[in-house]
Amino acid sequence: MTEKAILFDSSRCTACRGCQVACKCWNDLPSEPTAERPYDSVNWDGKFTHPADLNSCTRLITTFNDFESESSQKRVGWAFGRRACQHCTEAGCVNICPAGALHKDPETGFITYDQSKCIGCQNCSSACPFDVPRYEDQGGKTVINKCSGCVDRVAHGMKPACVTTCQSGALQFGDRDEMIALANERVEFLHDHGYEDACIYGVDEMAGLHVIQVLKHGMDAHGAVANPSIPVTATLSGILKPVTAVGAGATVLGLAAMFGLAAGYKRDTLVYNDATGDTISLETGEVTKQGNGPDERSVKEALTENLPFVGSKKGGDGDE
Amino acid sequence: MSKHHIEVTPEMKASDEAFLEGRTVGGDRYIKRHSRQARWTHGVTVLCCIWLMISGAFVFVPPLAQFAGSDVVFFFRMSHRVIGVAFVAVPIISAFAAPAGVKHIIHNNICHWTEDDKKWMILFLPYLFLAKWVHMPDQDEQKSGQRVADGALWICGIAMGITGVILLLNSTIMPVGVVAHSVLLFLHDLFFFVMLVFALAHIFLGAGIFQPYRGMWKVMWKDGLISESDALYHWGHWAREVLGSDNGVIRKKKGE
Repeated sequence: MTEKAILFDSSRCTACRGCQVACKCWNDLPSEPTAERPYDSVNWDGKFTHPADLNSCTRLITTFNDFESESSQKRVGWAFGRRACQHCTEAGCVNICPAGALHKDPETGFITYDQSKCIGCQNCSSACPFDVPRYEDQGGKTVINKCSGCVDRVAHGMKPACVTTCQSGALQFGDRDEMIALANERVEFLHDHGYEDACIYGVDEMAGLHVIQVLKHGMDAHGAVANPSIPVTATLSGILKPVTAVGAGATVLGLAAMFGLAAGYKRDTLVYNDATGDTISLETGEVTKQGNGPDERSVKEALTENLPFVGSKKGGDGDE
Repeated sequence: MSKHHIEVTPEMKASDEAFLEGRTVGGDRYIKRHSRQARWTHGVTVLCCIWLMISGAFVFVPPLAQFAGSDVVFFFRMSHRVIGVAFVAVPIISAFAAPAGVKHIIHNNICHWTEDDKKWMILFLPYLFLAKWVHMPDQDEQKSGQRVADGALWICGIAMGITGVILLLNSTIMPVGVVAHSVLLFLHDLFFFVMLVFALAHIFLGAGIFQPYRGMWKVMWKDGLISESDALYHWGHWAREVLGSDNGVIRKKKGE
């Protein structure tokens, strides 16, 4: 199967939110009481987007972005958007997932997941440039919940639920190349009809998204993330794992070498006579130091004085 | 300590001989180095640290997480949080219980470096590989290398504690945002790496795996006492001061 994509054409979207409902229905996700979450003082951003953002039981939302229109008759313009997983080709979430719960569907290119493997570490959210992954509570255990691209439906020859329900034709599904061609055609059409800012989004972002968007009023108006990339810290965290393994291995090897080289080490028992200030070897009765003054040897002397064949003295053989 | 032969006057030699004879009657001398509270704090922190490293590895090492499965990893993750709180809380409680001890630790770790301290630090790496031949200069109560290593462990422990607590709050009651989450995760991992290296070295020396440090584990894990000979070898300047003052010096006969 060739790579698939969902095409979202904002110029055709009526913001009916049918896609949101279809997503919930197909995935058996509950709705949330309005009074409790979406319009409370914390989550409500003053827009019509409802709920205000993705959450543990909402994988897809239609966003309402208003802007000041240049038209004298319609002073408020609307740029509707579709906020859900973008299904990146270079998916940071897949790379950072320690449990292997997230993976790329080889048939479609969609980023899907196995909740039974999810360990709830939420590392994936730290690697997503679109702030998509959310987590649902399953009896005290949190597991990821995000758009799966309806790979289960696609595997059975159906379109994703959101696409199936879209009445205005704003959502389409098919081969990615085909979707890109349709999007380009539409952008050209919009340009010809005075929408100079209209653009296509998702062709090159993150090495190619599997959600292609026609943004009628431009990226900013629709709230699209400009130049998305995996956060540097997430990339560094990925690098740090092998570095830690190598560092720990090298340290252990180094310590093992030190242990090996010190095999057979022994030293005299020392005692201190504070009446004379002498430090004395109990085995030989020799004074090894007088007083408590600083070490008078140079670093070179300290290094070489007891080395076999180097210092002026015979090898110490560990009998300090 | 140097191998150079030291001349002593006949009077001093006689005094030394009398001292050596006398000590067989009085017994071996030991210096009290760590209090019971310090040892318990260290012990609990070490156990917490070991558990945190093991449980953290189930998230940090992908093959381990995948091998163990989500339920096992879930247990380790939750235990990581509980033990993590103990790792942060126990030293804080201990510090409040003994502020003089905290002052003592800070003083020992942040103090003027003498020439012997600098020389010790320069010689340390060659010494680790050539311990039979390289003899280190005497040290005060805290070796210069100990100040560096303990300082690193302290900094890493504090940093991991802070980032860990914020990560815990982030996933429970106080979301900090995606960027902050990502930065915190990275810092937690970074300090883990640094801590791991220093902890391995600390165990190698502190547990007495390294031959010149044999028996050192007793100082922290047994009775907090160090023998006169070991004290003179490891912390010569400090040992002579304490032995001279006789404060904190205990005599034990063999078998006691």
